[in-house]
Amino acid sequence: MDAKGRALSETVWTRLDRKAGAITELTIRQLRHRISTWVVLIVGVLVMALLLAFYVDAIRDDFEPVDNDGDSVDWDNDGYPQGQENKYGTSDWDGQEYPGSGYYVMTGEIVWNDDSRFHSGNHTWEGQGYLDSEWVDLDYTGSRWSGLIDWGEVNPCPEGDVLDDWWLDWGEACTYDDGSYFVSGKFRASGSVSVPESGYMQWGHMTLASYVEPEPASMYIDEDGILWDGKDVSDLETIEEVDDDGDCLANMNDNNRNGIPCDVIWILDADGDEIIEIRADYNVNEDPEESKYLGELSHRTFIIGTGKMAFVMMLGIFIPLFLALGLVRDETENGTLHYLLSKPIHRAEFIIYRLLGYLLLAGTYILVLVLLMALVTSLIGPGDSLIRLSDFPVWLGIGLATVLVLAAYGALYNTLGLIAPKYGVYFCIILGIWEFIMGMFTMTLPSASVPMLSISHWALQLIDAIVLIAWPDTLQYTQITSAFGIDSGLSFFWQPPVHTLGTQSPVVALLVSITVLLLITVAMVGIGQASFKNREIM
Amino acid sequence: MSDKTPAVLVDQVSKWYGEVIGINDVSLAIDGGVTGVLGPNGAGKSTLFKLLMGRLKPNQGSVRLFGVDPWTNTAPYRRVGYVSESERMYDWMTALDFVTTLARLHGMTREEATARAEHVLDFVGLSDVQNKEIGKYSKGMRQRVKIAHALVHDPDLIILDEPLHGCDPIARTSIMSVIRELGSQGKTVIISSHILEEIERITEQIVILHNGRLLALGNLHAIRALLDKHPHRILLTCDDPRHLASEFISEDPVYGVRFPEEGKLEIQTNDLSAAHAILPRVIVDSGTDVSAIENPDDNLESLLGYLIGGDS
Repeated sequence: MDAKGRALSETVWTRLDRKAGAITELTIRQLRHRISTWVVLIVGVLVMALLLAFYVDAIRDDFEPVDNDGDSVDWDNDGYPQGQENKYGTSDWDGQEYPGSGYYVMTGEIVWNDDSRFHSGNHTWEGQGYLDSEWVDLDYTGSRWSGLIDWGEVNPCPEGDVLDDWWLDWGEACTYDDGSYFVSGKFRASGSVSVPESGYMQWGHMTLASYVEPEPASMYIDEDGILWDGKDVSDLETIEEVDDDGDCLANMNDNNRNGIPCDVIWILDADGDEIIEIRADYNVNEDPEESKYLGELSHRTFIIGTGKMAFVMMLGIFIPLFLALGLVRDETENGTLHYLLSKPIHRAEFIIYRLLGYLLLAGTYILVLVLLMALVTSLIGPGDSLIRLSDFPVWLGIGLATVLVLAAYGALYNTLGLIAPKYGVYFCIILGIWEFIMGMFTMTLPSASVPMLSISHWALQLIDAIVLIAWPDTLQYTQITSAFGIDSGLSFFWQPPVHTLGTQSPVVALLVSITVLLLITVAMVGIGQASFKNREIM
Repeated sequence: MSDKTPAVLVDQVSKWYGEVIGINDVSLAIDGGVTGVLGPNGAGKSTLFKLLMGRLKPNQGSVRLFGVDPWTNTAPYRRVGYVSESERMYDWMTALDFVTTLARLHGMTREEATARAEHVLDFVGLSDVQNKEIGKYSKGMRQRVKIAHALVHDPDLIILDEPLHGCDPIARTSIMSVIRELGSQGKTVIISSHILEEIERITEQIVILHNGRLLALGNLHAIRALLDKHPHRILLTCDDPRHLASEFISEDPVYGVRFPEEGKLEIQTNDLSAAHAILPRVIVDSGTDVSAIENPDDNLESLLGYLIGGDS
């Protein structure tokens, strides 16, 4: 290019630049002079402040130890927490059964088709029948929950035949005038029992009791941490090491069906640095330390949830509704468009510069808001370092997603305002609801195809992708939460990105989402331009 | 002007809105000087201007600004300033801001634009209030801001749609002098109005539109001379109409008198110029006090009435 050509191109370029500058500046100033702009922007700030308040509250709570598996509770009030009872194989629903209480050994039974329906002796019994007792252990008492007969509340038996005319619940007994009983449940007595036809009764004895020191409840909080050296999958931990509290060993669960009870199978991805699946036996590693897992989990859940719900779905849908719908339409209706269009500026250019002005205002607002949120949460969030720098890429990704959404919705709403000046706002509200529903679907079923017809789907996918790029171990965390049954919202708000084009790469997913959002924006701007170009302006 | 193509060329243009006709088969070429477009409300003046400014697309015929179709091309707007009939402005802006912003749309830098804006605001006589918000301006000041914005890029062609509408007499006079000044600078100015007297004070070159049709085109005085030969009325307000009437009835151009109400005398004539020529002498001779002389027929409606009547 010769000097003249260069000078010419510079002139054209700077002139274009100046026009763009003038219209974007005018647009921003116009928006700043509207009350609705301020209302929607201030509401956004208030929502973020509210979320931060919840965040501060939640983060503080989560650092307190939480008994994830609930085994620190002594449900049957026998002095032994559930964890200790599990270890000894006794029931935490039966106050008479506790570590060292001895256990029941069956020695005989009468089943429904046995000919002999009579037995006597000094036993621990369980079943239904008429009891003619010499002695009943009234201290061995319980309720329906434990199956023990409640000797504290024995009523007279009704008239008629048992099983035909009346019936007793499990754990109940009734008495006859001669001092005999009809019993239904577990009891300890010396005497004779006759079992009605089709009834059942078994008997046996309890082994000798020995004293076992009850363990404090605090021992069963955060007692079963997640064991994972992060390196070698073949080097399985020994069973005793994996199940710290031994509550799996009592039942020898093998839910993952690999022949080894109470173990965890860690499945890594191809290059061996990310856990992509965890198959754990029940009651293994189920109560980890909160500061290690739940703090981090809820921190990430908060950021992802805020990014998706508050930024993309709330601000992303409402800001354009208030700011972009009338960008060109209002000028047409006010008649002020005549001033602008009597200048040498193409109508198609005009739309772009208007949208640019709107995006500059709304985008700056979003970026400031995102950075403020990032600063606060990374300062008070969990972790040893003073500030969590790894959070910033995620927050910036949320900002990027929101700005792209603002561009796409802005172009869409502006075009709707142009095509249907009167009813555009209703179309926009319907679209907003559609986008919200599709956003919710995207979060729960990211691979469903219908939500792909929405803008929010691609923005949410963008956040999913950027989360996986900035925090690669998020996948690990979701696997850990589902494998060990740890309750957190992460799996609701985050799932691995879907649109990786078969590569599993979050970078590909990120680029796909950005491209789709940009294409939607360009298409909407194009439709708006085509409609506006052939519009007669009165 | 160096190029051969006229600033404005309208060739057999028709524009209708559904059933309603805006402009019906109008052809005209305008280049240089001040041209008044006259017509009652609804005659098609604004439609014509919007066609010129590419806001509307003609149903038939072609519109050219400096040889270019304004509907498909924005290039002519570099040389055109347009004052629309729209009353709405950005009321929160100052006049300087408003004109500067619009000047920047011509590709000027902020500094150039500000300098030009100050210049044109001075030209329309608003330099002392240029930093006040437009919302606080009077009607006439707002019109002058609109004119300033149309002049900011020193256009060759200026189109003004009813710039005097709703202005008070002082604003009217100042706007008229601005327009005359533009004409004397050699620019092509097109101004519309529905008041004959306004246009008459600015220019002699007129276009008359009526019901979307081009009714007359040319020199206002030539058209008026035709009108003068037709029955006309002069209305005098005086203290003794009967005495004055007796003086007039003997004069040659006067063929009748009437007393429409108390203290008023109506003279009927076939030659308005001749009647006006004898008027001062007769009044002085009669010794009657005359407080007002009106020409009730000297307005657009009677001009139109005459022209339409002449057509049929």
